[in-house]
Amino acid sequence: MPATPVYIICSPRPQVGKTLLARLLAEFLLLKNGNVAAFDVNLKEPSLLDYLPGITETADVTDTYGKMQLMDRVIVDDGLAKVIDLGFHAFDEFFKMTEEIGLLKEAARRHVAPQILFVADTDRVSARAHEMLRGQIPRMNLITVDNEYVVRGELPAAMEGGRLFRLPALPGFLKTYIDRLTFSFTGYLRQEKDSSTELHQWTRRNYIAFRELELSLILQRS
Amino acid sequence: MAKPAVVVVGADKGGVGKTTVSRTLLDYFSANNVPTRAFDTESPRGTLKRFHPDITEIVDMTTTADQMKIFDTLNTVSPSVTVIDVRAGLLSPALASLRDIGFLDAAKAGQITFAVFHILGPSIASLEEIAETAGFMGGAKYFLVKNFINDTQFFQWDQATYNSYFHRIKDATELTIPKLNEMAYEQVEVSSVPFLKFVANKGINDDAANYSFVLRGYVRHWLANVWSEFDRIRLTDIVGSKPVTRNSEK
Repeated sequence: MPATPVYIICSPRPQVGKTLLARLLAEFLLLKNGNVAAFDVNLKEPSLLDYLPGITETADVTDTYGKMQLMDRVIVDDGLAKVIDLGFHAFDEFFKMTEEIGLLKEAARRHVAPQILFVADTDRVSARAHEMLRGQIPRMNLITVDNEYVVRGELPAAMEGGRLFRLPALPGFLKTYIDRLTFSFTGYLRQEKDSSTELHQWTRRNYIAFRELELSLILQRS
Repeated sequence: MAKPAVVVVGADKGGVGKTTVSRTLLDYFSANNVPTRAFDTESPRGTLKRFHPDITEIVDMTTTADQMKIFDTLNTVSPSVTVIDVRAGLLSPALASLRDIGFLDAAKAGQITFAVFHILGPSIASLEEIAETAGFMGGAKYFLVKNFINDTQFFQWDQATYNSYFHRIKDATELTIPKLNEMAYEQVEVSSVPFLKFVANKGINDDAANYSFVLRGYVRHWLANVWSEFDRIRLTDIVGSKPVTRNSEK
C-alpha cells in the first residue's frame, strides 16, 4: 500500500500562486480518491478555505497548540491525502518547527510521504528559502513549482537542479474567471462540453502532471 | 570494580530546574548503558522519584542515617554512579556535610569521582551562590549550569558582571541547558515518565502511549541538545564508563 501523501504548498512570498496550486491539487485528489483533507494556514491572504470550504480546515502555527492541532492530524497513515496551503507569513515558523520536531524522519517511520511543493520566484527571499529547504528536505521530497505566470522566464539556476513541476500561465481573462470563489476546476471539466478550450486543456494538463507526481511518489518508495 | 562516582545536582535557589537536569542526567546514563542509582532529597515526596521510581530513593540528607545510606554504600553497590538531586537551599549545607565526613578529601585523593552540577537561575542571588559553593570544590568537577528556563541572558550583555561571576572560579566548566517548549514540558510532567520514554511514546510501564508527535519532537530536539552538552564535557568518561553508541544515533 502506498504511503499517505502530505502535500505542503509553500513560498516565503505572497501572490505567487500557492492557493491556486492548492485548489487544483485538492480538487484533483477529491476527484481521484473521493476525499482529501485540506488545511489552510493563511491568515492574511486569499485562502483555500474560501474556495473549498467543504474539505478545508483552518490551521495556525503561531503557537504550540496550533502546531499540535495541525501536525498530529497530518502525520497519520490513514490513506487520506492531505494538502496544506501554507501562507507566506507562516513559512519560517513552519519549517523551523518541522526541523525541530524531525517531521521527515517521523513521517518515514509512520509510512507518511511529505511532498514539499515550493512555489518559486526570482527574488532573494525565495532564493534563500529554497536554499534552506534544500538543506533540510531530501531531494525526493522537494518539488520546485515553476509558475510561469510568476517566474516569466528561466528559473534561478539553483532551483533547477531538483524535481520540477511546471504550472503553465493562463491568460489574464481566464485568471479572473478561475479566481471567482464559486469556480471549480473539476466542475468545469464536467460541465464544459468543448474540451478544446484553453482552460479545459490547462486543467487537464495539470491533473495529468499531478498523476505523474503521484506515480513518481509510488515509484520512489517501491 | 570501577571507581564510584557521585554526581550532585543542586542550587541554593529554588525553581531553577535542578530536578529537570537530574532527569536528563538519568536519561543520559540510561541511554549510555551506565548503571546508575539516584537519591532524591526532596523528602518526604520527591519529584525525581516520580519520574524514575525504579532507581530513585528518597532521603533526608540532613540525617546521619540517610547520609550513611548514600555514602557508606558507594563501594558496595553495583551501580557505580550515584546521582543526588539536592533540594533547594540544601546545596551548601550538603557540601559542608560532605567535607565534614571526609568525602571531599577522598575525592581530592582520587578515591572517588565527584562532580557537582550547580544549577543557576537568572538572578544575582543565584550567581552569588557560586562564590559560596566554590569553597568546597577542590577535588570536584564543578559545572556551572546555565539553565535557560526563560529568555534570560545571564548578564552576558554586561561582560563585567558576567565575568565577575562566571570567571571567578578557575576550573569551573559552563554548561548550557536550552529552554524546552512549555507545553512539551507540561505534557511530560502530566505523563510522569522519563524524557526518554516520552520521546519513545511509551507510558510508565513501557506500554504504548499517544503523546503528541509535535511535543515529542520538541522534547527529542531539546534532549539531544542537552546531551550534546554532556557529550562535550565527556560525562561518561568522567564517571568512568566507556562511551557507547546510543540507540538514537544508530
